[in-house]
Amino acid sequence: MSALRSATGLGLAALLALCAAAHASRGEQRPVAERPAMDYVPPPAGSYTLNVIQPAPDGRVVAADGRFRPLSAYTRGRITLLSLIYTYCTEPTGCAFAYETEVELKRRIIADKTLHDRVRFVSLSFDPVNDDYRSMQAYGGRNARAGGPLPWFFLATRNVTELRPILEGFDQEIELERDAGGRPTRTISHMLKLFLIDRDGMVREIYSTAFLLPEAMLNDIKTLVMEEDARR
Amino acid sequence: MNQFGLSCTKFAVAAVCASAFTLAAYADETCNSPYTARLIKGQEDYVHVWTLGVDGLGDGSDKLVTVDVNPKSKSYGKVVHALSVGGRGEAHHMGFTDDRKYLWAGGLDDSRIHVFDVGTNPAKPKLVKTIADLPAQTGFVGPHTFYAMPGRMLVQALSNNKDHGGVTGIAVYNNKGKFVAKYTMPTVELGGVKGDGYGYDLAINPKKNVLLTSSFTGWNNYMMDMGKMVQDPEAMKRFGTTMAVWDLKAMKPKQVLAVPGSPLEIRWSLNRKDNWAVTAAALTSKIWLIKPDGKGGWQAKDVATIGDPAKIPLPVDISITADGKGLWVNTFMDGTTRYFDLSNPEAPKQTYSKQTGRQVNMVSQSWDGKRVYITSSLLANWDKKGADNEQFLALFHWDGKELKEQFRIDFNAEKLGRAHHMKFSAKPKAKTAAAPVEVAAQR
Repeated sequence: MSALRSATGLGLAALLALCAAAHASRGEQRPVAERPAMDYVPPPAGSYTLNVIQPAPDGRVVAADGRFRPLSAYTRGRITLLSLIYTYCTEPTGCAFAYETEVELKRRIIADKTLHDRVRFVSLSFDPVNDDYRSMQAYGGRNARAGGPLPWFFLATRNVTELRPILEGFDQEIELERDAGGRPTRTISHMLKLFLIDRDGMVREIYSTAFLLPEAMLNDIKTLVMEEDARR
Repeated sequence: MNQFGLSCTKFAVAAVCASAFTLAAYADETCNSPYTARLIKGQEDYVHVWTLGVDGLGDGSDKLVTVDVNPKSKSYGKVVHALSVGGRGEAHHMGFTDDRKYLWAGGLDDSRIHVFDVGTNPAKPKLVKTIADLPAQTGFVGPHTFYAMPGRMLVQALSNNKDHGGVTGIAVYNNKGKFVAKYTMPTVELGGVKGDGYGYDLAINPKKNVLLTSSFTGWNNYMMDMGKMVQDPEAMKRFGTTMAVWDLKAMKPKQVLAVPGSPLEIRWSLNRKDNWAVTAAALTSKIWLIKPDGKGGWQAKDVATIGDPAKIPLPVDISITADGKGLWVNTFMDGTTRYFDLSNPEAPKQTYSKQTGRQVNMVSQSWDGKRVYITSSLLANWDKKGADNEQFLALFHWDGKELKEQFRIDFNAEKLGRAHHMKFSAKPKAKTAAAPVEVAAQR
């Protein structure tokens, strides 16, 4: 894997110069796509069951303070909404859309005291070449700094070796698109997915663009809260 | 499970200031799950044909046959790859995972589900996994429709392992191939109509949170010789007569619709303004429209006749145009491909027909509607006999007026088997406008 580590270092060096403009303009200003149409009333929370789809994988991540921690520290013990993103994603229906949805969902959760201290958000970069823990905190802005009843963690990984098992565990395929000569372009191809994880670390729902509906997502979170309460 | 994993070397390059390319297309080549990624709106490069093995023909095994269909290719119209799965299990239908990297292909007899990697190199798919626990996990047999949802696959079965009749259900697997859940088809009265418990196809309207299912028949019938079956009045009673409307989120059936004559393939209009679907009832030769009833529920309406029902043309596969304005219908017995004008879905009108083979079953069109692919096999024991048992993949160009044949591959002569379901794939798209970046891994 030495070649990969080398790649990481060179990529980061190149990034610092070339991505400055993108970082500077990021802040809370993110292009947002039109939300998918929702011409129905979601079933009430607790009127349905969310399947246990798969275990959330573990792995080593870099936290806000630059220290290594197990990913499981952020996917166990609370209901977790985890998004896999990268900070310089500019696709309106991609990471920015996910972020905007999470912001709206956060507002709704904060407004419901029964959900306080039951939920966390996690945004994990799948690009260790260009996103370190500092850039993730910058990406999160005030959301990364806020604690309170709904903490939101912005995490990075150190390198591809440590990222790979996490992505494999979530079945998150990413790929650099290539030009006509077969050389990688600047576009990372990925399918937007957010993972709803229960307090036991099991993935209970997966949201792609068509499912990023805050009202329905809130009901899913409430359904898991009700499930937890029923087990107590 | 490394076959399901990340391509590390592809990732470990130094990309700079990349933009995301997220991939949740509303629909895909007009019939796939709306959650399937990487819509092919241009020229497809390959057609993968899930092919039933025939005893004494070639290796006799079910196989995934890959055909080069790019007219700019030297191997255009040729079989470029054939991957046997080592047995005959009544190969039938296929479906992509949400990321379109894997193709799940089922056997109606052995109930095995083969998972092919078609994303890494679509010219040479690889068999990466075989799922064999459907009957044990669910009691269902005959995996028919494979329909992607985020991170998982819905599998509509046709039968069960108790009496091999038509009562069956839906299984859910995650993308790693692990069983997640099962749901039985409704057998109770919902909305005034009693469910028959049968299953065939399923299709989702995300905007309405609706999963729609149709109904066919059980293993006892679909594995029986067709000539024998039609002479058996009891067997002919055992066909589905309903469709079911489900709450997708809750995975609960809400309403049963009376649709006699075995409604088969379901196609939602892909026009974002529409909220209707069509299906073709095989035994009654009718097109049915499923739409909101204006009272919060759904209704099914018989809106058109396909050919002369008295002659039992047996409509099988249908393919809706991307704009929802047209519908291809194949009728198996007379080998005819028909085009219906769907501009008014309440009154579809046949505007074109052509005999495209002695027997035809599946029909798949490109997103732009310019290319129409047709295969021949229905079921191993339902296909015609002797010289009428043509087995082929044929491509036609459609100019809005006439189907013009471009090539036809004789699957008997090629010793491949019975050509059934088709799926398209494309080579990774080249981004000629983007500047190359430094690639440390290549140094």
